[in-house]
Amino acid sequence: MFETGPNWRRDVAFGAVLIAVLIAIPFLGPSRYFIGQLTLFFIWATVVSQWNLVFGVAGIFSLAQMAIFAFGGFATGMMGLYLGISLWFTLVLAGVGSILFSIIIGLACLRLRGPYVALLTLAIAQVMYLLIITDTACFYMEGVTCRNFTGGTRGLAKFGDFGFRELLGRREYLKGDYYLSLFLLVLATVFSFAIIRSPLGFAFRALRDNPEYGVSRGLSRFKYQLLVFAMSAFFTGLAGGVFAGHFRVIGANVLSLPLLLFLISMMVVGGLGRAWGPILGAALVMLADEGMKDFVEIRNMGYGALIVAIVVLLPQGAAGGLEQVWDWGRRQVLALRGGADRPAAGRAGEGRRE
Amino acid sequence: METVVQILVSGLTLGAMYAASTIGLSLVWGAMGVLNMAHGALLTIGGYASYSAVLHVGLPWYLGLPAAMIVSFVVGLLIYHIIFRFMYRHPAFETNVIIATVGLAIFLEQVTLLIYGAYPFLQPFSIEEGFFVSGVFVRFQNVVILVLAVATMLLVAALLSRTRMGRAIRATALNREAAQLMGVNVGRVFAQVMGIAGVVAAISGVMLSSITTLAPTMGYDPMLKAFIICVIAGLGNVPGALIAAFILGLFEAVVQFAVGVRFGFPALLLLVIIALIWRPYGVFGRRQVRRV
Repeated sequence: MFETGPNWRRDVAFGAVLIAVLIAIPFLGPSRYFIGQLTLFFIWATVVSQWNLVFGVAGIFSLAQMAIFAFGGFATGMMGLYLGISLWFTLVLAGVGSILFSIIIGLACLRLRGPYVALLTLAIAQVMYLLIITDTACFYMEGVTCRNFTGGTRGLAKFGDFGFRELLGRREYLKGDYYLSLFLLVLATVFSFAIIRSPLGFAFRALRDNPEYGVSRGLSRFKYQLLVFAMSAFFTGLAGGVFAGHFRVIGANVLSLPLLLFLISMMVVGGLGRAWGPILGAALVMLADEGMKDFVEIRNMGYGALIVAIVVLLPQGAAGGLEQVWDWGRRQVLALRGGADRPAAGRAGEGRRE
Repeated sequence: METVVQILVSGLTLGAMYAASTIGLSLVWGAMGVLNMAHGALLTIGGYASYSAVLHVGLPWYLGLPAAMIVSFVVGLLIYHIIFRFMYRHPAFETNVIIATVGLAIFLEQVTLLIYGAYPFLQPFSIEEGFFVSGVFVRFQNVVILVLAVATMLLVAALLSRTRMGRAIRATALNREAAQLMGVNVGRVFAQVMGIAGVVAAISGVMLSSITTLAPTMGYDPMLKAFIICVIAGLGNVPGALIAAFILGLFEAVVQFAVGVRFGFPALLLLVIIALIWRPYGVFGRRQVRRV
């Protein structure tokens, strides 16, 4: 069923080691700040892994990922606040709702091609942003203060969290969020690997690399693109919900341009369409972000320059670069062993964008 | 009557500004296949350049605009020489360049923020006086904006249709390889297009800031609207973009007046989505048939 790929065992082994290390980290007594940053890393990497399916693998220029993320976050928070149900429950509802939301966006945008999709999805995100921050109508009164339906400029708060505070206590509750978001990232990554290496993944890539040929072999462009759009929305929406529950607040700032850029840079730095790209990219960009913490003023400038430099100098991203190094290393090892079953392809790593 | 005049004035001014922002975007797309997400930043640079030329250099206010045009022209050329020049031969150019210009946009915005801060300065290239049309006060600035926008369009159109440079640009837009084979220096055409786009962006940036204020992010909103206009008109279609700009400007003014200011942009977007479901290649765009 699945094309396991030449490096299947490497991927599984690497993934298992990574998960083991990440599970162990909270027991080594790190600072609360470190745990918090890693939690955020899991959330962003989840979003980027799903965005990569749409943008990198299926080749749709969608900038709607943060709109879907915001939808998941706001849906989780609003249902928690207005219906008074547990966030665990609203989180799942929000994930399903995100699928529907993305299908609506997809129906409007996916008839278009290439840059038109980028324009329209960006405009949709901007409209959401504007409608939220200009929301001044009173939805309910809290004492004498007026609260807006969407939270307005202040953001939506007071919808509770995932209950780790009661369960683990004030000092330890961050670990609950940590494991929850790690679990989410693992699921999302396994999901994206499965998609990339399944027949569906081939269809997406065919429509990306040569749409005319794909269509003439019987693939419906609209159907498959809508499918990948909807599939990637579920974990994106869940990530939004986890984000809202972790910070106990969600605001229009998740739709801001700098954050969008932050996540695009993760995708680009990691390598568009590469299976390991999102995790690698999210880690590298967040590390760079830590490094630039003391230079708040030039931080965004740094991202901007970084993105330009990566696109110009290393279009296949860090994952692509590592892949080349890996293939080179493997060839050297095989050559040392006698070189009888040396792979024929000279530069195997280059063209293999997943 | 007063409301009609008011809506007309604000609608035509909006339309003129959208049209001017759209020309540059549409030209760059048409000639190079570049979706320039940094176009808004060019607008902003133009606006601040005019401010600096008057306030810091000490030029008279009416020289603000020419100064802005020169500065944005240079920035446009630099963008080509520092970034696009190394990218346009790559097969994935059209994707990569979008991401690169997003990065560039943030970079330029931050530079502006660093130099000028977030304080909303007033644009010196502005006329406060005005006149009355059936009881409605109309600033001369609105007239200047309309005249400037129309003049810019005519100039760009003349440049494209009457000059050697324009012919080379049109040839490149039509078929880059064929143009190259006929001896057109494609790199130089790209540089020229970026320069023109810079000049046009500066004009719309100065006009825009003259009726609002200067801000490092001021180019973002008109750029999005210019995008929408391009989408409606079909990317790369300059005359279609102009008609669409004025229609959408008037539409937005009507919605802002009738429903509320905050629904102007959402209504615009809704209109565009409906239009696109009806005609996926733009209202004035033609379906592109590509040979396999």
